[in-house]
Amino acid sequence: MHALLVLLRKDFTNFFHNKAAVLLTFFVPFAMIYVFGQVFGVTKTDGGPSGIPLAVVNDSKDPGALQLVNALKAEKTFSVITEFTPPQHASRALTETDLEPLMHDNKFRFAVVIPSDLVKADQLGVHLKIYSNPRNEIETQMVTGVLQKTIFSTVPQLLGQSLQSHARTSVGDQRLKHFNRSIAENIASTFGGNADDITRQIEQGNFAPASAALTGASPGTTLDKAPAAFSNLLTQLVQIETRQVSGQDVKSPAATRIVGGFAIQFLLFALSSSAAALFYERDRGIFQRILAGPVSRSQILWSKFLYGSALGLLQLVVLFVGGRLLYGIDIENHLGYLSLVCVVTAAACTAFGMVLASVASSMEAASGLATFVILLMCSVGGAWFPVSLMPHAIQQLSKLTIVYWAMEGFDQVLWMNASFHDLVPTLGILIAITVAVMFVAVWRFNRGNLFE
Amino acid sequence: MLKLESVTKHYGSITALDQVSLDIARGEFFGLLGPNGAGKSTLMSLVAGLRSPDAGALSLDGATLSAQSAATRRDLGLVPQHIALYPRLTAEQNLRIFGGLQGLGGVLLRSRINEALQAVGLDDRRRDQVQTFSGGMQRRLNLAAAILHRPKVLLCDEPTVGVDPQSRNAIFEYLERLNDDGLTIIYSTHYMEEAARLCSRIGIIDHGKLLALGTLDELLTQLPFEEEIRFPATDKTAELASRLKDQGDVALVEQTHCFRPRAGFRLSSFYALTESHGLAPRLFATQRPSLEALFLHLTGRTLRE
Repeated sequence: MHALLVLLRKDFTNFFHNKAAVLLTFFVPFAMIYVFGQVFGVTKTDGGPSGIPLAVVNDSKDPGALQLVNALKAEKTFSVITEFTPPQHASRALTETDLEPLMHDNKFRFAVVIPSDLVKADQLGVHLKIYSNPRNEIETQMVTGVLQKTIFSTVPQLLGQSLQSHARTSVGDQRLKHFNRSIAENIASTFGGNADDITRQIEQGNFAPASAALTGASPGTTLDKAPAAFSNLLTQLVQIETRQVSGQDVKSPAATRIVGGFAIQFLLFALSSSAAALFYERDRGIFQRILAGPVSRSQILWSKFLYGSALGLLQLVVLFVGGRLLYGIDIENHLGYLSLVCVVTAAACTAFGMVLASVASSMEAASGLATFVILLMCSVGGAWFPVSLMPHAIQQLSKLTIVYWAMEGFDQVLWMNASFHDLVPTLGILIAITVAVMFVAVWRFNRGNLFE
Repeated sequence: MLKLESVTKHYGSITALDQVSLDIARGEFFGLLGPNGAGKSTLMSLVAGLRSPDAGALSLDGATLSAQSAATRRDLGLVPQHIALYPRLTAEQNLRIFGGLQGLGGVLLRSRINEALQAVGLDDRRRDQVQTFSGGMQRRLNLAAAILHRPKVLLCDEPTVGVDPQSRNAIFEYLERLNDDGLTIIYSTHYMEEAARLCSRIGIIDHGKLLALGTLDELLTQLPFEEEIRFPATDKTAELASRLKDQGDVALVEQTHCFRPRAGFRLSSFYALTESHGLAPRLFATQRPSLEALFLHLTGRTLRE
């Protein structure tokens, strides 16, 4: 028993003397819980995403169209964009022809067009167009859901108003009032309710009481609580024309959407481990031997950088070839640009691994730090969850991560079929990150004890 | 050939080397003797260009030695204290890497590798992974990797730590052969026997200061006695040791009393004393004083403390 206690005490004493282990055990999980909470918005009381850019083009003169725009603006999920400022021109209202180029430039991924024939004269119903770039499945499903909810909670009234207006023109005000009153009285006598209230609602274009009566609900039921049959009826009346702006020709959409996130995670873990191996060579005295010859510290560091980048590139090649063989991801048609993104991503991830190694004091500390920072970057950078659905501050933070820009690069090539011109900013940012991070790493290595 | 002028190195508030000056001639087998933490490895790392001194200068054949002087360092070979080899690679692969880093290649590198492996007795294990080698074999390969490029100066930083006697002898013999061929060797150790056996000149270092410098004979003349009498430390000899303190210093080193007599000491009086204590003559050994004694004399403590 005594021996057991001594051994137990030995383990705890060793543990509490290992700062890296203590940090990994207590601080890192706490920090991760906090960060994940922020990323997934669990601390928000209202729930759901907010501020997703949504372009709205209103070509209709119908007052109901403005009502729909206002309803979209009131929806916190969206940050509605209605204006566009062309280079060296004054700001103006967005037009439908602006949408595709701007969506291609990833200014926004969803747009609603309210066409001039919102309410068609020759047929009953409402006509809308939705443009989308569904490069992220979760984001697309969420946005489509909220968009439909907003449209279907606004359009019926719009439709009713349209009907009332149409009827007033056709039969005159007095005859319409009489018609509305007789319908209201019929509803009230058959299903109950106040005929005056029902008349007023019908005149405002709210057909919910009539529909509720038709489907057996009690009068006065609000629209969003109306039975499903009513929604189905409306769905048939609202004609939504959808248009996918990018990714229509992608052969394996699901796999193509996720491959970037997976690739970057594998790469970060592999290359961080590779950089942490610097400590192995230091601890074995190998750097002493090498540096005693005609080799400089910079040469060692840059050779490690090149090695890591080459290894990362090789890993990406294996990953994408695997994706091609298993899931049919189209790499052969994007070979050139995909290679470019792979090279700069591998370089950025290697630099990241090296900077972590440069601030750590041992291989264990570097590995622990890498685990923490990689999980942090993957969650914030959008490898697990769409950045657009995160809180605004986290969205800004995500743009400081390699994960965000690497995924952007892979999406641009594989999903958006981007041109070299389109890719240049993303490649430039990844290269800039690599240079900046390597600069810090080399500076830290030269000041630290790695080579002593 | 290798010159150190008032070299000083600090690590924070600790002075690792304090105004050390040395001049090592071509072909010399120079020993740097001192206990752990004396400053030996710091001095070796400064010469190897791994660190820069805070003050003073180092030069090899007139060219400054520093962390920036890559070309000059080509003339150096370092045998680190650690076994600085890649354990998963074979002996030959390791030598190819370290030879390549020294600028060797092709046929020349292959012939140097062959020579080195034969010289350290590892030719038959050249294609085996280093991790399958014994500690002594790894130490020998560690040495071979440092001389592939035929440096002018070989720096050996405690190269026999943890080595079995057989491998240690093999290393000594190889180093002696290299030195006979004209290679200048700087050998740091805390084993006085190694320094005494190998080195033509020895520097004794402690707390960053060079306390004494010279050949073994020159160093030993610094002692105030010419011989040392050793006898086992037992209950029977305790009183004798106590009585001898009137005539010299008595130190207890590893269960052995070392009596270092003062000037004017007479051997006849010593034997009269042992006879009076009933101690047999076979218990006593008179010998030339060791570097251990000199270190004790200079610092007041033993090398192993």
